[in-house]
Amino acid sequence: MGREVSESCVDSLLTEMVSMYCNRLYANKPELAASRIDAIGYQVGHQLSERYTMERPRFTDHLDAIKFICKDFWSELFKKQIDNLKTNHRGTFVLQDNRFRWLSRMSLDPSPENGDVPQENSEAAAENKAAQVPNMHLHFSCGVIKGALHNLGIACAVSADTSHLPACSFVVRIKP
Amino acid sequence: MQFFGGTEISPSLPAATASGNNGHMMYVFNRNGICLLYREWNRPLHTLNAQQDHKLMFGLLFSLKSLTAKMDPTSVEKGNLGVPQLPGQGCSFHSFRTNTYKLSFMESPSGIKLILITHPRTGDLRESLKYIYNLYVEYVVKNPLYTPGTPIRCELFNTALDQYVRSIS
Repeated sequence: MGREVSESCVDSLLTEMVSMYCNRLYANKPELAASRIDAIGYQVGHQLSERYTMERPRFTDHLDAIKFICKDFWSELFKKQIDNLKTNHRGTFVLQDNRFRWLSRMSLDPSPENGDVPQENSEAAAENKAAQVPNMHLHFSCGVIKGALHNLGIACAVSADTSHLPACSFVVRIKP
Repeated sequence: MQFFGGTEISPSLPAATASGNNGHMMYVFNRNGICLLYREWNRPLHTLNAQQDHKLMFGLLFSLKSLTAKMDPTSVEKGNLGVPQLPGQGCSFHSFRTNTYKLSFMESPSGIKLILITHPRTGDLRESLKYIYNLYVEYVVKNPLYTPGTPIRCELFNTALDQYVRSIS
């Protein structure tokens, strides 16, 4: 059901969107760029969850809704399920995907250039910079999850962590 | 898994030809002559510095392509020698072989030139070059962090390429 579009097109569109917001529109304001990208993801997630829950009954509790995100929602989007779900039973969930599709082709510069900066500083700076870039690309996915959950009646905040590309964890904190 | 690099040569080559052998290298150029990638797995002899080496290689290929197209006995129209041809237009050479190495070449319609230099007893590498071009598309072009036209610095591409080239010969 529905129409299909090539995956390469979606990948290129997302890449260009992040690049446009980060480098051209809000070049010196990464927080604004991040929140704009997040808002776009929110809209997308909102509409997608509407479409994918069309024939289902209402969810009884938060855990069911999160499980829906992990299994059905993720399968519709990425043809696989979330690999690992952890919770502290107090409103925080960690969704881990060991090979996140939108990050699977991202790879960093293997040899950071050392100018005349001392060794420890340049390594920390390179690591810092390296960590920032995948994060920008993840704001969209965080927005998608947030929008999907909001449509199911759950207000939450979502953040992402990419310490090991291409694995990626999304931390969902439900607002009481 | 054994790392193919340094002074180790493919096991199928007899030891006698090891001395003075160019061994395995790889160049990737774009349509403007910028060397996007230069990988070296076994090159005992370095005669030029990197810049000159790249320029020489690019010039050589440009001239060879032009020459082979001009000398094509089956083609009807013959332009002037040196007129640049669109990729895919006319005929294009795909390899040449000397007694110490074989150079295999492939140009994509977008102007990306792949050059792979191997030992002389390698077979036809056109399919391998197509596979490597596929790796380039997957890991470089689709990498959100890569700017087209700049040297390739993608770890995934380097790893996949090393692994594949190791399996060719």
